[in-house]
Formats: sequence, C-alpha cells, structure tokens
Amino acid sequence: MVTDLALLRLLQLVSPGLPIGMYCYSQGLERAVDDGWLSNASDTDEWLNGLMQTCLTRIDLPILARLYDAWEYANIESVEYWSRTLTACRETSELRAEDRHTGQALARLLHSMDITGMQPWIRKPEATLATIFAFAAVKWGVPKRETATGYLWSWLENQVLCAVKLVPLGQVAGQRLLTELAGKIPALVNEALSIADHDIGGSAFGLALASSRHEMQYSRLFRS
Amino acid sequence: MKPDALLEDLKNVAIASQNTVQSQGWQAKLELDFIHKYGRTVLAHRRHVGPLTVQRPFYPEGEVCHVYVLHPPSGVVAGDCLTMDINAAADSAALVTTPAAGKFYSSDGKLAQQQVALTVAANAALEWLPQETIIYESARVASELRLELAAGARFIGWEIFALGRPAANEGFTLGEVGMNWHIFRAGELFYRERLMIDAQAFAANWGLNGHSACGTLFACPATVLQLGAVQQFIGESAGCGVTLIDDMLICRALDSRADRLRDFFQHVWRILRPDVVQRDACAPRIWAT
Repeated sequence: MVTDLALLRLLQLVSPGLPIGMYCYSQGLERAVDDGWLSNASDTDEWLNGLMQTCLTRIDLPILARLYDAWEYANIESVEYWSRTLTACRETSELRAEDRHTGQALARLLHSMDITGMQPWIRKPEATLATIFAFAAVKWGVPKRETATGYLWSWLENQVLCAVKLVPLGQVAGQRLLTELAGKIPALVNEALSIADHDIGGSAFGLALASSRHEMQYSRLFRS
Repeated sequence: MKPDALLEDLKNVAIASQNTVQSQGWQAKLELDFIHKYGRTVLAHRRHVGPLTVQRPFYPEGEVCHVYVLHPPSGVVAGDCLTMDINAAADSAALVTTPAAGKFYSSDGKLAQQQVALTVAANAALEWLPQETIIYESARVASELRLELAAGARFIGWEIFALGRPAANEGFTLGEVGMNWHIFRAGELFYRERLMIDAQAFAANWGLNGHSACGTLFACPATVLQLGAVQQFIGESAGCGVTLIDDMLICRALDSRADRLRDFFQHVWRILRPDVVQRDACAPRIWAT
C-alpha cells in the first residue's frame, strides 16, 4: 500500500513539469509521422500500444524493477550492470543520448534538492532515466509496483503529448487515447514484473528505423 | 569459383546428410578458425557435423580468405538446429558468404534454430555477408547471432530476412521468427536486439509495416565520415536509416522485395569496406550469379 506522501512523491516524479527536458524527445514519433506511418488517432494507438507491449514491458520495466532492488540493497555494482544492459537495448544513438541526458538531468535535479548520493551520477554514462527514477522511488518510499506503473504512465503521457503536437491530434482525442492505453498498464506491469533475466529484451523494427531516420531528418522539433 | 568444386561439395553434403539425419531434425554444426600465416589468412581449422559445410577457401583479392558456407541443400525444417562458430584470430582477414539464400520451411509447430557465434580478435577483420534468409509462411524460427569483438577488431556483417513469399502470394500470418543479436566488445555487452516477428509485428506500423523483407547491417569501426556517406547514399529514399553508436554503424532497411534490399546492403557494404576493413570492395563472384 502506497502512503499518501509516497504517492505525492510519485506524482511529482512522473509529472511532465519535472524539469528534465522530457518534452524534447519524441522517440522516433516525429519521423514516423513525417514518413506518413502515423496520420491519425488509430495509427497512433497502434504505435503506442505496440511499443508499450513490445519494448517498455520487455525492457524498461523489468530492468527498472531490478534497478529498484539494487538501490534498495545499495548494490552499486548491480545498479551499473542493469543500467549498462538497458543502454545496450537502445538501438540508436539518439535513443541512447536521450536516456543519458534525461537520467543525468534527473540526477542533477535531485542533487540540487539536497538529496545525497546523486553527485557521482550527474556525469556518469550509466545514468539512464530508469536508473535515477528507481533511485528517487526507493529514496521516497514508493513501492516497486507503483514505481513501474508511474514510469510507464509518464512515458505514455509524454508520447501522447508529442502525438497531439505532431500527428496532430485534438486535445480530446489525446485524452481519449491516454485513457484507453492507460487501461492496459496494470496488466503490462504484472507481466513485466514476472519476466526472467534471460527473457529481457524486446525490439520494434519500426521504432529503431524511425529513430535512425530521425537522426537525419532535415527539419525537426524534437531531439529524438 | 569452379562449378565442379561446388558440385563436389554438394555431393559431400548429401552424403553427410544421409549419415546424420535424425528424426529430431538436423543437428548441424560448423566450426571455422581463420589465422594469419605466411602473409595471408588460412582456414586453419574446419570441422563440420551434419549438412553444413564450406567449400575450399579461395583468394580473389590476395590475402583475404573468402569462404562460402553451404547450407543443407534441402533447406531447414522444424526441429533442425544449425550452429556456426567462426573465429578470426589476430591479424587474419576473412569474408564469409553463402552461394544462395537460406531457406526455413513451414513448420508443424516445432522450432528451427540457427545459432551463429562470431569472434574477431584484435587487428583481425571478419565480414559476415550471407545471402538473405527466406522464411516461409508458418515457419517457426529462432535465430541467434553472438558477436564478440576484441579492441581493434574490424567487422561488417548483416542479416537479411525475407518473410513469406510475396511472389507466391504468401503473407506472414502464421509464422514466428525470433532474431537476437548480442554484441560484446572487449567482453562487455554493447548491443542487444531482440526482435520477434509474428503476424502482428509483421503488419504493424511499429514493426515491419507489412513489408516482407527487413535487414540490418553492422560495421565497426566507423566514424561520422562513413555515417555521412551512408546517409548521403540513402538520401530521400524511404524505408532505410542509419545510426552510429560510438564507432558502431548500424544501418537498417525495409522493402517489399528482398532482392532490392540485398542490392541496397551490398551497396552500403561497398561504401563502407575501404574504411572499415581497409580494402577496396571486391564482391564475391557468387553474388553476381
């Protein structure tokens, strides 16, 4: 059971207002729209649903859970190992850079809020978003399942905000999409938390291709 | 290449096949070790079990050892397991390709497996350039590729898949292909890709978007110069992209036709080879046949 204060901390951590620059990243969505792969709400639904199922549930969340355990036991070696494994699963230079930039930005933010232990992570290449997100969750007493739920929600909300701007979608269509897709999160979190080490990994060819193509897109709003 | 040599090898394969066939499917294995000796690369160790073998090496460009791997002549079916273990020792240079597309046939539910392990030592160069792998509708395939690069190793490799046979009006609604790439550099995991293509991933916009051919090429060491050259070649064409992670260049592409995709990757290889392997492109003659 999550306490009131832990819930509030989680809400702070997943807020689009958290100053770590999440709004700069579309994760290939900008190029996918530009290439005409996504042109309406139903294409967007297919794209986000697929990425949630294939990548987030099979890479980010199971690794986030292992990072959470590692921080809880103060096992830095394990934190670094899983952070490197997460980075290895990112198929393009942009996706790796995004993870490093947002992770290091969150470490810097926590350090500026006088939370101890974050200083060495401000410049570490292993500081992925999941690495530092798990650290904050452990620090603030957010339980593991809620941490994974919040992480996936924050990814989804950010992607929907990107889609509203890029596809574009109306505000109401965006909220409808968010409501529908968020309904799948609890089951995906269950699945993610039961994945064994050797089954971690899930790539989407379209995402890797869109992200590679985004790197050479001539005119763009987003950094990924 | 001498046609009689190929014929002789195919005959040997057929004989080997008769001797090792099991009700469980082929358990075929091939081990190749390349070493540098007397100014060129020799195939110092070659061992094969079952219907997976190589022709005798040849040297169309001097010191680089070119080798053709011959797949089981009848293709791969459910229950088969092909294992390839290829090592390039320090200072060696080898190019491995296949004379024809690999074929994985429809399955009764059992898995066909292919496991490839490539190890490249310091200052060695390995090129892994098999022709495309055709995966028939309703085949179930697990393909693993494990690449270990020492510091200073040079590598270009690709994997090209053709799913279903669009010319025969086959889609890909029943099959299932798992493709895994693990790349280790100086013993550390550097890259991990785990692709599962089933009917949903085949059709979806986040998957292959209905394209029946997909491929990925890896090249190392590369710089922004090679990245720029490949980007320029791609230009405005849809369905292909390239990225550079540290000094590993990764190029991917989708097409509705596997032959076009193969031409695309051969062209990218021609662009990259002079810098990555430090030799002019010398296309294996078998590609032209």
